[in-house]
Amino acid sequence: MNVAVTTQPKRKPSFSDWLKTLTFYELLVGMKATLTHLLNYKPITLQYPHEKRLLPDNYRGMLALLRYDDGTEKCVGCDLCEAACPSRVIRVVSGEVPGEPTKRYSKEYYMDMTRCLFCGLCVDACPVDALGMTREFEWAVYDKRQLHLNKQQLLAIGDRSFPVREKRLELQHPNVAFFNVTFKHLPQKEN
Amino acid sequence: MEIGLRLAVSLAQIAAVMGVVMLTVMVLTLAERKVLAWMQDRMGPMEVGPYGVLQPIADGLKLFFKEDIIPAGANKFLFTLAPILALVPALIGFAVIPFGPSLTIELFGMQIKPFVISDINIGILYILAFASIGAYGIILGGWASNSKYSLLGGLRSAAQVISYELNVGLAIVGVILLSGSLSLVKITEAQAGGFWNWFVIGWGGFPQIFAFVVYVISAVAETNRVPFDLPEAESELVAGFFTEYSGMRFAFFFIAEYANMILVSCVAAALFLGGWNAPYPGTILGYIGLDSLAWIENVVWFAAKVYFFLFLFFWLRATLPRLRYDQLMRFGWKVMLPIALGNIVLTAIAAYFFPR
Repeated sequence: MNVAVTTQPKRKPSFSDWLKTLTFYELLVGMKATLTHLLNYKPITLQYPHEKRLLPDNYRGMLALLRYDDGTEKCVGCDLCEAACPSRVIRVVSGEVPGEPTKRYSKEYYMDMTRCLFCGLCVDACPVDALGMTREFEWAVYDKRQLHLNKQQLLAIGDRSFPVREKRLELQHPNVAFFNVTFKHLPQKEN
Repeated sequence: MEIGLRLAVSLAQIAAVMGVVMLTVMVLTLAERKVLAWMQDRMGPMEVGPYGVLQPIADGLKLFFKEDIIPAGANKFLFTLAPILALVPALIGFAVIPFGPSLTIELFGMQIKPFVISDINIGILYILAFASIGAYGIILGGWASNSKYSLLGGLRSAAQVISYELNVGLAIVGVILLSGSLSLVKITEAQAGGFWNWFVIGWGGFPQIFAFVVYVISAVAETNRVPFDLPEAESELVAGFFTEYSGMRFAFFFIAEYANMILVSCVAAALFLGGWNAPYPGTILGYIGLDSLAWIENVVWFAAKVYFFLFLFFWLRATLPRLRYDQLMRFGWKVMLPIALGNIVLTAIAAYFFPR
């Protein structure tokens, strides 16, 4: 396919063009711009370690596991976060609560934060809002194995970043942590 | 005894000038980063000392304690020689710059000129000659490093410095025609008595404004500064001819660049802007009866002119992008050179009909 190349017809340089070339007019315009910035000096940089910028409300920082207000883990070990993660950061080993076949939890929960791209898809995927994104971003470490976090570490991050915990809904059956619906047909657990 | 004393006085003068130049280099390294930052809405160095004013000392210490690396396959002798060859010509040119009024004082029965180390009668030729030797430092440094980036930087620098040195030399000829001397002291004295006598205005002769523009542009090119920084184009050649240098050898190249900037600024001030002459006849301190302190005013005027040129260097660096290689060569040979030559012809005619 022929692409029509449109070229500007060569204009004969006028006297003012000629004068502008001769006097470096365009250079002077540029130099005026830089001088204006020097004279109205308003720096936009922040001196980072000494002053920090205000983070936006929806800032996506370090990931964390959350708890209910009674201290129990929210995570039910459903593996949906692992499935949603595009970078294979998360590894969940799910397990049954002993003696309660309907209730599951995550026996092990690992996050390899060296690979995380902070997209927040795991947080979106979680059916019980067990994952949260904190505002922590200063996670530079000397050994990158320190960024391979286990469940205890992730819960600790959640504890220090989310002091206000969600209430476990009363109408929810303690057997099933899944979805905030009642299961009246199931027998009440005595404890 | 006489010779010993003379030597001691000369050494003292040299030490004083070197001290001032080195101090200015230190100030410039900080000033350049600060001015550049302010022009780009940044802050520049802020960590070392209040507002980062101690940054040059920190940089110097860092360079001093850095490991000195000579790359494998490099020519060790030339690799060591090149930074010295770059630095010495840059510093040696200050010997003929008049920093203040050309008065002589009597000391131990000797005539001493306190503001110029040696008033030789071919001062400007001497500076041009040593500026050419400075190009060797760059070329040899590029060649001896055994690195393609260094070699490319060195080659570019060779072509560029030679092309633009020509323009510097030709731009100066007009001033020499008007003043009738190659001595910087005599050239400066010829511009006394107000700014209209400065050769850039050249009242009563031919104004050297074109020569001045050619000189300033060529001086920027000769010191390898933006927008003519092709020898060290960091976006193309890593760092150009000093890619492989580290530690004090790198510092030598760095100091040489800044000393060269100061030198061409001094020459520009002395040749075109009247050197240490104030823009009005005489000095204010002289008028109010403080004749013995008038030199302070003159030295301040000289420093002000030099710092104006140094600021111009930073200003250009903050504004202009780098030229392409063919643009550089075309500009040098097809624009600057004809202007300089035409200036010589017109100045010669004017000097013949209106002798000063």
